[in-house]
Amino acid sequence: MIEFAASGLLNGVAVGSIYALIALGFALLYKSTRILNLAHGELVLFGGYLAIALAQVLPFPLAVTVTLLAAAALGFAVERAIMRPLFGQPLLSVVIVTLALGYIVRGAMVGIWGGSTRNFPPVLPAGVVRVAGIPLQAVGVYSAATAAVLLGAFWLFFRYTLVGISMRAAANEQLTASTLGVSLRRVFAYAWAFAATAGAVGGILLGLWLGVNFALAHVGLKALAAVILGGLDSIPGAIVGGLAIGVVETVVGGYIDAHVIYGFKDITPFVVILLVLLVRPYGLFGTEHIERL
Amino acid sequence: MAILDRPGYRAGMVLLVAALVLAPVWLGRFIFLLNTIGIFAIGACGLTLLTGLTGQISLGHAAFMALGAYGSAALARAGLPVPLAMVGATALTCAGGMVVGLPSLRIKGLYLAIATLAFQFLTEYALIHATGGVGALSVPPLGVGRWVVRTEVQFYYLLLCVWLLAGAALANLARSRVGLVWMAIRDRDYAAQVLGIPLLHYKALAFGLAAAYAGLAGSLWAHYQRLITTEQFTVGASIDYVAMVVIGGLTSIWGAHLGAAFVVALSQGLKIATPALTAVVPAFAKVVIPLREVLFGTVLIALLIWEPGGLAMLLRKLKRKVDLWPFAY
Repeated sequence: MIEFAASGLLNGVAVGSIYALIALGFALLYKSTRILNLAHGELVLFGGYLAIALAQVLPFPLAVTVTLLAAAALGFAVERAIMRPLFGQPLLSVVIVTLALGYIVRGAMVGIWGGSTRNFPPVLPAGVVRVAGIPLQAVGVYSAATAAVLLGAFWLFFRYTLVGISMRAAANEQLTASTLGVSLRRVFAYAWAFAATAGAVGGILLGLWLGVNFALAHVGLKALAAVILGGLDSIPGAIVGGLAIGVVETVVGGYIDAHVIYGFKDITPFVVILLVLLVRPYGLFGTEHIERL
Repeated sequence: MAILDRPGYRAGMVLLVAALVLAPVWLGRFIFLLNTIGIFAIGACGLTLLTGLTGQISLGHAAFMALGAYGSAALARAGLPVPLAMVGATALTCAGGMVVGLPSLRIKGLYLAIATLAFQFLTEYALIHATGGVGALSVPPLGVGRWVVRTEVQFYYLLLCVWLLAGAALANLARSRVGLVWMAIRDRDYAAQVLGIPLLHYKALAFGLAAAYAGLAGSLWAHYQRLITTEQFTVGASIDYVAMVVIGGLTSIWGAHLGAAFVVALSQGLKIATPALTAVVPAFAKVVIPLREVLFGTVLIALLIWEPGGLAMLLRKLKRKVDLWPFAY
């Protein structure tokens, strides 16, 4: 029992760190543009599919680089072509537009590369690693380590680069930031590019671990649960939420899956979403919204 | 009939109803298209009421349809006459909708959309487990006693009656006191509350009625298809519903019908055209489903950018042109 919990905890943290990375894209986009991107899962899918197709013809590091650049370009394109004309439109339009975007990306991916599961060439060492006596899949450990390094890199980026600082400024207080010379358009474009890249990285990492098929799009929903738990507009919240969802899914979901009813693991994120929304709609670290007439 | 305020429109309406009544003559074996459109239009009416009039975004409309379908199937299989089973399932879904709608007092906008999305997934999961892992269920046909609906045309005439009634009910509801209250809630629910509108009452009513429409559509669908699976009510179907009301025109009472016709015609049209196109381009059969998704997404985005009012608004603009012809102003 103890061993089950401990291995679940470690595995959960491993997968959770990838969720956290994906959720970071979600949260940052919401924080700086007030758009909840329901196509985020499809951006994950985009990264996975493109990287796997490129890895067949290019050396792996090059394939990853090209994929990330393509994801950033997709983000820029989406912002320019779809989101800018819709600026100031009601919430529903924006939600539906992101859903429609998800349709297009998923349709294109499945149409071009088919729906069956594909695997990356073995770039990470396979086998089992023991951490404190608990067996873990080596691929999982390496993916988690990469995710952790990237989270650190993103943190440095927001802390020290000019683009990062202007994005934080805009996220904090849009109007003030724009009077002080932050170009909101540019920030929005960077936010989209960033979200798409974070999604693509998540897609590649998860793809290395689990293989790529269109079910990968559901990971976007797990990241959604993570940001709801952490608070939609909180970046530390996204990271904590991602880790928490990973652990809850693996430990609680895995336990119920094995002992109570089958298949519960897949819907754990939604149970979490419903519970959080009912108890604390703004999440753990999100700003509480106060409405006035 | 005050909605149809000009003799020309009344004539047009008569023509439309006549065309619908005579549809089996001019549509022939494609009458199943109208059956599908009718069922989805009834469901979409519910979403127009909920999202268009009351402003509550729901991404779980197909879950209500599933409740109606499985409820009706279960009641009919338990030995209840089919019409009673349908009424029972609709009432059940209505109650379910009210319960789901209760949190809408606390959570709204985006958060409500996410909550309904979660509800959709949980319902799918529960149904798969309740039916023993497969989700498939065979359903008795529509009928009373020895009289049973056997052909598409018989079903069509029954459906047409329900469809016209449902559409007329929505149109009149939108103009009534209740409809006006809903619109006030849509525009600013706090302000509406300050004006003395009990939010709980009207939001629950909107959710309940929307769910009832979806439940009715679901039970019609179950007795029409005769075999239901959870695959017919996935989150994709929910998004199809949203697509219908947006493409048709969110705030228009014609929106649901136009949108359902557009969406069903597009996806069924692709399906019908597949054999012919596959003969020319063999790869087409593999991409038809992805192609449908890409087309849908593109149409939705294009409409939202250039004509947020949807097809109904295009129709209204056309009507204005005709009204003012030959002078532009």
